[in-house]
Amino acid sequence: MKKRGVGIASVMFGFGYGEGFPDHSTASIRIKPDGRVEVKTAAADVGQGVLTVVSQIAAEILGVPVESIDLVNGDTAVTRSSGSTSATRQTFFTGNAVMNTAQILRSIIFDLAVKVYGKTYPELYFENSCVVPHGAEEKKISFAELAKIAAERGEKLEAEGSYFPITTPPDPSNGQGERVYVSYTFVTTIAEVEIDLGTGQVEVIRMVAAPDVGQAIHPQNVEGQMEGGSAQGIGMALMEEILFDEYGTLLNPNLSTYLIPTSLDVPRMQTVIVEDEEPLGPFGAKGIGEPAMISTAPAIINAIYNACGVRIKELPATPEKILRELKKLAAGN
Amino acid sequence: MKGNIVGHSVPKVDAKAKVTGKALYATDLYMEDMLYMQVLRAPYAHAVIRKIDLAQALAVPGIVRIITKEDLPGLKNHGLIFKDQPALVGIGEKVRFTGDTLAIVIGESNIQVRKAIKKIKVEYDKLEVITDPLRAMEEDAVTIHTAGNIVCTHKLDKGDIVRGFMEADLIVYNEFKTQHVEHITLQPDAGLATLEEDDTICIWAATQWLHDTRVDVAQAMGLPVEKIRIIQPAIGGAFGKREDIIAQLHLAIAVREVKRPVKTIYSREESIIATSKRHPMIFRFRTGVKKDGTLTAWEATVIGDTGAYASSGPAVVHKGLYHCTGPYDCPNVRGVAYTVYTNNTYAGAMRGFGATQTAFAYESQMDIIAEKLGINPIELRLKNAYQVGSTTPNGQKLYASVGVKETIIKAVEAFERLGGVIR
Repeated sequence: MKKRGVGIASVMFGFGYGEGFPDHSTASIRIKPDGRVEVKTAAADVGQGVLTVVSQIAAEILGVPVESIDLVNGDTAVTRSSGSTSATRQTFFTGNAVMNTAQILRSIIFDLAVKVYGKTYPELYFENSCVVPHGAEEKKISFAELAKIAAERGEKLEAEGSYFPITTPPDPSNGQGERVYVSYTFVTTIAEVEIDLGTGQVEVIRMVAAPDVGQAIHPQNVEGQMEGGSAQGIGMALMEEILFDEYGTLLNPNLSTYLIPTSLDVPRMQTVIVEDEEPLGPFGAKGIGEPAMISTAPAIINAIYNACGVRIKELPATPEKILRELKKLAAGN
Repeated sequence: MKGNIVGHSVPKVDAKAKVTGKALYATDLYMEDMLYMQVLRAPYAHAVIRKIDLAQALAVPGIVRIITKEDLPGLKNHGLIFKDQPALVGIGEKVRFTGDTLAIVIGESNIQVRKAIKKIKVEYDKLEVITDPLRAMEEDAVTIHTAGNIVCTHKLDKGDIVRGFMEADLIVYNEFKTQHVEHITLQPDAGLATLEEDDTICIWAATQWLHDTRVDVAQAMGLPVEKIRIIQPAIGGAFGKREDIIAQLHLAIAVREVKRPVKTIYSREESIIATSKRHPMIFRFRTGVKKDGTLTAWEATVIGDTGAYASSGPAVVHKGLYHCTGPYDCPNVRGVAYTVYTNNTYAGAMRGFGATQTAFAYESQMDIIAEKLGINPIELRLKNAYQVGSTTPNGQKLYASVGVKETIIKAVEAFERLGGVIR
């Protein structure tokens, strides 16, 4: 016989290193002679999409298409530190560093354009890699031409900027601090499971997740994070466990004995993005990398209880464990 | 704020290179004159090494060099927070888990190197192996590191916990445990190192933090930071595993000795045995709540097994404590977190960094409380959820962007839209 149940879990995640630990990111951006925009950071893109995010932010502020951004990959000889791709920090920290740098460069370009046109700020705007005077659009100057003008004048169209917020080290006696983390991301997951009471096997059949990301810079990337994180959460809830024997020998060091979810174990899921803007984030954004997986396992564990009355207090909820608990319940009745 | 580009799902900038196979991962890197490196791991999880006999291994054709600690007496420990991890364990020194390294073997082909590793003979004296953090905390337990088995202790004390429990109509106590989890990055651990003409060591290897990797490699080898250059190839997943630096350090040591490019690729088995894991954690939660569901007190003890080396452990375990009430406002919180050494594979950063483990515990606790009070679990959460002006267990006041209630409401709506029925 099979039984279904639904579980919910809501979570919080303070992102950035926090706790007074120095946490900063530096970026540099320049207009190349051909008018393309070079963005340099050392942010590691482990697949999550930070390079797309920084390209979008730079393109938005400088008024250029994303396709005209050239990225310089992380290399300690040519890029300054962008901190780690960890602590759910890259969108917020390197995003802010790129935003600050793009703003500095935007003002450098503006200052040069003002000199070229003899017109001041409100009469000029940026569009499609050009500076354009209001009402005289035919007189627009491309970034490539501006780069040439700048070179002739011995000026450079480049900028470097950082983001380095202050956080508070918690008091060692009680953990209290005014600003322990820069900000917090929240996620709620609802999972529906079906349990085979004969085998103890749990199948996740439906799942929704609602992350509060402040502002999604790239909504599809947020969905990707949520889907990948949820799959990892299913593994943690139901199957993954590295085992050691009493001599410290690791017993299952292969994918034949250490099971992770396959596409057959992951249900169709829906992500609903909540955007409660974070004033300190770039365009209001917060990080999502880690919180994407946090609410999955507890939602599944609560769904198992809802389905069959088994309360799993030690992860993972393997079929063996569930069968054992079901037997205990039956004996108690 | 949404813009013309921000807030839109533009094509990912690295997608084309990845789907066409043009992106270069560390495993793809190749140089004409490069050598291959593998390492000999510890034969036992806790032991003093007495002898390492390389004679037969050196006789294997194609073997260029075998490096042990005896060749590098000045080599210093490394580590993300505490420098407690040796890149090589020498004679008279201790191995602390089965992934510790005794010898770096370099040769013309991977097959020859693997063959040589099997021919190294090691003699050692076994010590008590500790796999249970609770055993590690006992007074008579053998110490894994000289300073003791408790790496560090963190405390939390907000409000007045005694008053909080006095105000409670119901007090619920539960213990929860989480397991060792492996990251399983799609891409195996791999790297290539070269020695430049000015003696700069260049390392191509997937890392989550180039500049930190550079400093840690340099300090372990006693070199100026400028003499290490880290170049990022494409990365096939990380999830926290690529914060620790062991392969990079072995490559740097090897390339400096042989002065030819050196490449390494771990097998999946080696990666699982020798690289970091998610911390297994124990949570003891005592929660006080009024009849109407209002939280009044939350007391937490957290014990995290960081394995043989601290890695990110001192930060991971107390992050679990600091997040112990989840997204719920509780005026009185007290807790303590212990980060403990064992002889298990060391645990480090993994997606969620302690906050993942504690969420399983507090969200289970919330559901248990809801049932005992006869309150719908969603209502109990909405009742206690943070809002602007709430304070976290650290006493941090939340000023903006506190969307937790909206995430609950939106998730319920979406679930019902999909035909789900909340029972």
